[in-house]
Amino acid sequence: MYDRRVSTRRVAITGLGAVTSLGNDLETTWKGLVEGRCGIRPITLFDASGFRTQLAAEVRELPDAGVSPRVRRRLSRTDVLGLAAAAEALAASGLDLSRENPLRIGVVLGAGVSGLLDSENDFRALLAHGPRAARPTRVLNQPPDQTTDRIAERWGLLGPRSTITTACSSSATSLGFAADLIRHGLCDVVVTGGADTFARLTHGGFNALRAVDTEPCRPFDRRRKGLTIGEAAGILVFEEEERARRRGAPILARFLGYGITSDAHHMTQPESSGEAGARTIRACLAAARLDPADVDYVNAHGTATPQNDPAETASLKKALGARAKEIPVSSIKSMLGHCLCSAGAIEAVATVLTIARGVVPPTIHYREPDPECDLDVVPNEAREARVRTALSNSFAFGGNSTVVAFGEFPG
Amino acid sequence: MTGPVITGAAAVTALGRDLASTRAALAEGRSAVADVEGQDVPARKDRSPAARIVRFSSEPELPKMKARRLDRASLYAVVAAKQALADAGYAMAGLEERTGILLGTGSAGAGPLVELERQMALESPDAASPFLFPYTVANAPASVTAIELGIKGPNVTITQKDAAALNALFWGRMLLADGRADALLVGAADEWNLDYHFAYERVHATRTATRAGFVLGEGAACVLVEEESRARERGAAVRARVASVVMRPAALSPQVRRADAGVLAAAMRAALDEAGVAPSGVGLVHLSRNGVLETDRAEEAALAAVFAAPPRTAAVKEQLGENPFAGAVQLALASAELAERPGAGAVLINAFGAGGNFLCAVLRSA
Repeated sequence: MYDRRVSTRRVAITGLGAVTSLGNDLETTWKGLVEGRCGIRPITLFDASGFRTQLAAEVRELPDAGVSPRVRRRLSRTDVLGLAAAAEALAASGLDLSRENPLRIGVVLGAGVSGLLDSENDFRALLAHGPRAARPTRVLNQPPDQTTDRIAERWGLLGPRSTITTACSSSATSLGFAADLIRHGLCDVVVTGGADTFARLTHGGFNALRAVDTEPCRPFDRRRKGLTIGEAAGILVFEEEERARRRGAPILARFLGYGITSDAHHMTQPESSGEAGARTIRACLAAARLDPADVDYVNAHGTATPQNDPAETASLKKALGARAKEIPVSSIKSMLGHCLCSAGAIEAVATVLTIARGVVPPTIHYREPDPECDLDVVPNEAREARVRTALSNSFAFGGNSTVVAFGEFPG
Repeated sequence: MTGPVITGAAAVTALGRDLASTRAALAEGRSAVADVEGQDVPARKDRSPAARIVRFSSEPELPKMKARRLDRASLYAVVAAKQALADAGYAMAGLEERTGILLGTGSAGAGPLVELERQMALESPDAASPFLFPYTVANAPASVTAIELGIKGPNVTITQKDAAALNALFWGRMLLADGRADALLVGAADEWNLDYHFAYERVHATRTATRAGFVLGEGAACVLVEEESRARERGAAVRARVASVVMRPAALSPQVRRADAGVLAAAMRAALDEAGVAPSGVGLVHLSRNGVLETDRAEEAALAAVFAAPPRTAAVKEQLGENPFAGAVQLALASAELAERPGAGAVLINAFGAGGNFLCAVLRSA
């Protein structure tokens, strides 16, 4: 039953899963991140010769979705990534789903592109050869909530379900919804995060905006020219902490809170003074009952566009004060690309591991400091550090900004 | 008093560009469902109809100059949002950071997306318009509205098949309860698109002369939801109380439009239980009914199981078409009906979407 009171229920993270351009599982991805490896390579999914850049961070070989061949034929690329990451996260959580009440397990993902690549192929076949050449059933995979339903169907999960579509902050925002389901007593467990894959539309759109770099993206570097698009799935198992503790679950960290705000500024440009982003960070700190001095690390949005990185730097300075320059702030987009609607999820996964394992992933391709981005960006090499509390920033088209906070589990 | 209440409502539909004209048209039994015609529409005997907004002026809410660059769902959303705020007597100045927006959608961005794809496929990647791309995202209606109105609180867009508008209310009341905002515009916005229409037609999802199915519609609607104490403080007229919103999904493949009557009945009972309303206390049920036989029949059987005496029902999707905006229209209609007839009983709203996405909400009079 819904409990409208702000409850004292805490949210623990008991499982993680990842599929990225660095690897098809969590450990390979994490190893790549701490080694500073780059997942950005020439595009293979379509002919990219006419675009400004021919680079992206594609998942090399699709993982096993863990479904029958009949079901597999119907899945989009995004579904496959999402199902594989969810399987890994659920296995890691140690949950025995056959013994759980399915009504108490929810699914909340961030998504956007979904099966668009299939629709594009269908659309092009239609334009070139007429209706007989097209495969209309593939178009059905385009709604962003497909993967959410697929995960619920695959594991028979009957709790509340939702899909957030706030562009590049989608999957960070989904974590907030998931946490609220637990805090308000509607779920014991929520499978959350996001999956998003590559398509001509997103690549072409950012090319048209001249927001892409022709080289692998260089967040916070003075020579940065723009982003590189990536694709990924990042899944987190959120669980009510007392329950997780009682069953002896492997608790990796706590979800401490989130801030969501609207810039009310511009559809594509960040608010340059940093005040809008600072409001989101402050909202997160307030919700998580944190002071700036508590923050030990920030996983930055760090897209490497000329506009984002200085605005984000200014936001961090406004919200965290002197603390902003004392702590590491890194962008793993330098390795995984900008995974758009799954960026917040895969960056949340990395943030949880940063806390759990005491290693801060670097910002690679960093050569020339930019005076407007004068933070400790953990250049090129990972660093060991005790991180008790960390933030992860996500700022999106439309001014949809989300910041999430994670903390060390004291148990 | 505490708990979420509705203080304003608006709807932009194919039957009217505001809630009053939409209500009047619905009451007269008018339908917006019509044949899809035009030079881009090849003749075909089993063509599906649609409930389209054929002629629309954004004025007086939004000047034509601004409207020109927007996608249609965003246009409808801005107009509906401004009307809802006016209906609520809500002055934004000074409250920007305490005001949020949550919209559902199933189709926002369709027009710019298809146009951009066409430019890239038929011309070249270089031909892709940078002006179209920002409006291909599903969050364009909510974000354009936030920019236009200066909303700086939570800004969320949700997709969940036909049920996205109720899902927005489902999370929205938590955001209010947690003090993340004092007022939230909650609703949905959609646009009709010819290529999407063809796609649904090709997979036999939509109705034709020879088969059952839903009819695609477009529009936007929203309600202003506030914590009651805040609404009373500012002297707002409370139209309706949000008594419950429940989600009881089934584990189905995403596009499967099927439902078990027992599951739907359980969802309705859960919503009534949480609202503290007995079935006999329900004065009106806004049905999910949209022409899909399997789910329509299951809903009918579920109603028979829950209600000893058949309740008064309304099936507005038959007149306005399907898409998440229709669920938001039902919220707006329900709040207006409760404000006018406070003694007529509670309103139950059903939203039983594809893929087992089942939600119910109960609104009560203030």
